[in-house]
Amino acid sequence: MKLDFLPELPFALSQPVLFGALLVLGLAAGEAARRYAALPRITGYVLAGVLLGPEATNLLSADALLDARLLVDLSIGLIVFELGFRLDFAWLRRNRWLLVTALAESLFCFAALYATLSWFGFRPLLAAAAAAIGTATSPAVVMVVAHELRAEGQVTERMLLFTAVNSMAAYLALTLLLPFLYFEQASAWQDAVLHPLYLLAGSVLTGLVGCLLLLRLAAWIGQREEGQFVLLVAAVVLTVGAAHSLNLSVLLALLTLGMLARNLDRAHVLLPLRFGHGGQLFFVVLFVLTGASLEFASLATAAGVAVAFIVMRFLGKALALLAFGRLSGIRPGGAGLLAIALLPMSGLAVVMVQDTALFYPSFGRELADVVLAAVVVLELAGPLATQFALRRAGEARPDG
Amino acid sequence: MDEMNFSRSAGLSVGVELELQLVRPHDLDLSRDAADLLSRLGRRKLPGAVKPEITESMIELNSSVHTGCSPLLAELEAMRAAVVQEAGVLNLRISGGGSHPFHDWADRRIFPNERFRFIVERYGYLAKQFTVFGQHIHVGCPGGDEAVYLTHMLTRYVPHFIALSAASPFYQGEDTSFQSSRLTAVSAFPLAGHMPFVADWAQFTDYFARMQQFGIVASMKDFYWDIRPKPEYGTIEIRVCDTPLTVRRAVLLAGYAQALAAHHLAERSLQPARAVYLVNSYNRFEACRFGIGGDLVEPYSGVRKKIGQDILESIAKVAPHAAQLDCRDALEELAAMVRVGQTDAGWLRSRHAARGSLADVVRDACARWEKNA
Repeated sequence: MKLDFLPELPFALSQPVLFGALLVLGLAAGEAARRYAALPRITGYVLAGVLLGPEATNLLSADALLDARLLVDLSIGLIVFELGFRLDFAWLRRNRWLLVTALAESLFCFAALYATLSWFGFRPLLAAAAAAIGTATSPAVVMVVAHELRAEGQVTERMLLFTAVNSMAAYLALTLLLPFLYFEQASAWQDAVLHPLYLLAGSVLTGLVGCLLLLRLAAWIGQREEGQFVLLVAAVVLTVGAAHSLNLSVLLALLTLGMLARNLDRAHVLLPLRFGHGGQLFFVVLFVLTGASLEFASLATAAGVAVAFIVMRFLGKALALLAFGRLSGIRPGGAGLLAIALLPMSGLAVVMVQDTALFYPSFGRELADVVLAAVVVLELAGPLATQFALRRAGEARPDG
Repeated sequence: MDEMNFSRSAGLSVGVELELQLVRPHDLDLSRDAADLLSRLGRRKLPGAVKPEITESMIELNSSVHTGCSPLLAELEAMRAAVVQEAGVLNLRISGGGSHPFHDWADRRIFPNERFRFIVERYGYLAKQFTVFGQHIHVGCPGGDEAVYLTHMLTRYVPHFIALSAASPFYQGEDTSFQSSRLTAVSAFPLAGHMPFVADWAQFTDYFARMQQFGIVASMKDFYWDIRPKPEYGTIEIRVCDTPLTVRRAVLLAGYAQALAAHHLAERSLQPARAVYLVNSYNRFEACRFGIGGDLVEPYSGVRKKIGQDILESIAKVAPHAAQLDCRDALEELAAMVRVGQTDAGWLRSRHAARGSLADVVRDACARWEKNA
């Protein structure tokens, strides 16, 4: 008896096993968070990630996380696509104050963060980059919490709209800071000008091409739900892949894809979007991986800055919403809840830091120290804030 | 028994209630923003009134009392425009029609007020399934006896109102094969049906008092009849119509009701007959299922004919009264529609055939209501 049909010990942890384990653990932790602590499932996913990550068991090592970047991009891509798809230009045309409110929300938040960080003595470029990243609400968290609670209503709709706008504003601001970064590094001015241009134009163009392809094919396939589902997933994966290989922004490309798919579809060839349970899979993956990338060490070194960052970020958003919210037609009390709902920061912020670090490792490190401490806190508290706000607004389903 | 004092109202005056669908644009399902929309509308000076309905996906427009069709149309048109404008601020769309083609009744949420909570507690899932959209037409009566007489008389025309307003061919994502599927949701209620065969207002109040003593009803509101007297307003209320896809058709229906009432109160040529109630459920079914193409048994003569044919004959019959009431043009317009077989249910089906998805049907129906095309 040789038993050589048995595998050798120790077992090699293949990619599928890791991936499956990640899903199972994430799912179980999410369910436990829900049942035993009345927390949003996301919080459970994140905690599972923390357990698996380099800060704890290191089953997901820093290298593994880098390899999983495409998976993260794919998940974020799906989510921001859906977010863009909800953004209705016609609404902004009919309700101009809504656009004003959305822009003010981004602007006030950026200004509050910039002022705070300057006060802490960070140099202008670093303060501006961190403020830009802080402007964005996590699209993933607000989408997932809204899904989980099956929330619908004015606060929910505006939360999604403002998240789309502030994510876009954040990316735009960060990209427009690139030339200054080049100057700081004394690079050639051509790079300084061409890089942001390439990022912005390239990402939008990628989204546009994807959208045109999607609409053409959808018109040809017709209104068959199965066919359109496959087509949508294909368009998203293809656009994420293209943005990824072209070193473009997945966020901007996919937001563009979603927005244009919704607003250029004059003949209404696309059926209403329903990713259903398939989407849930990506949510779990995304939050477990984000949880694994949290850096708790930063919390110790930058606790004071993080607290000020979080408080001023909230105040910036709240001020804009309280100032313009009523004009944009939100009910009394809605503006405050909206400001709370917009608190989450998550994977998107991490990705923005990582992308900056890719080109400028030292600046990226400094940026990470400022931003990531706040991300740690808001990653855990954010979903709870959004859940609270949507419940309080009476927009969550009682059983949600 | 104050509730049963029959108020005086200008005879043959007319008023309309329209239940409307609130639709969210991103997937064209029903939305649940009634409270936000109502609070915005509450801050505007509007003729008539706007009210909540059983679930958060509906609102109800109430016109004020009118003597003729043109002012009624002008008022409802102004209300329609205001509602559409305020809905736009909230990114909502508004649609007529008797049913939402594909919403899931289990997703509906009850509008938070005491009466609606009571209805849910009492009727369970029927309450959520009651997310259907009807038009109620009030016709003023000089007194309670006239109201009872007119209720008996107009019952004969119930199939007309069903067929003329039918606008709910789709329900829960399916083509029901009916022209109006909405009334099925109403029939499930234990107090649906019709008024008992009473001779006058005194008999009616006796009947009501007994039902009250039995503890079966608390107020007139608990009866879900096809036509019911409404002593509080001094009217009778016709409740079988689907909300049409346009304000205009809603006004034409009101004009027809008014002319029928005028004819019967003036001529008094017929007496209430039990035969009306013998054929009623058969005629009613034919109207729901086949619309103006359905059959109808005329209760007084026993003759069987097409509902559309019967409508045209009765429009001709009441034409002289219509002329005095400023609704002659309305009746002519209605007759022209019947002659070419133009109905809202047919329009919805043709949109579905042309576009292929129920979401598109909803979108087109919203566009029709919003532009009043």
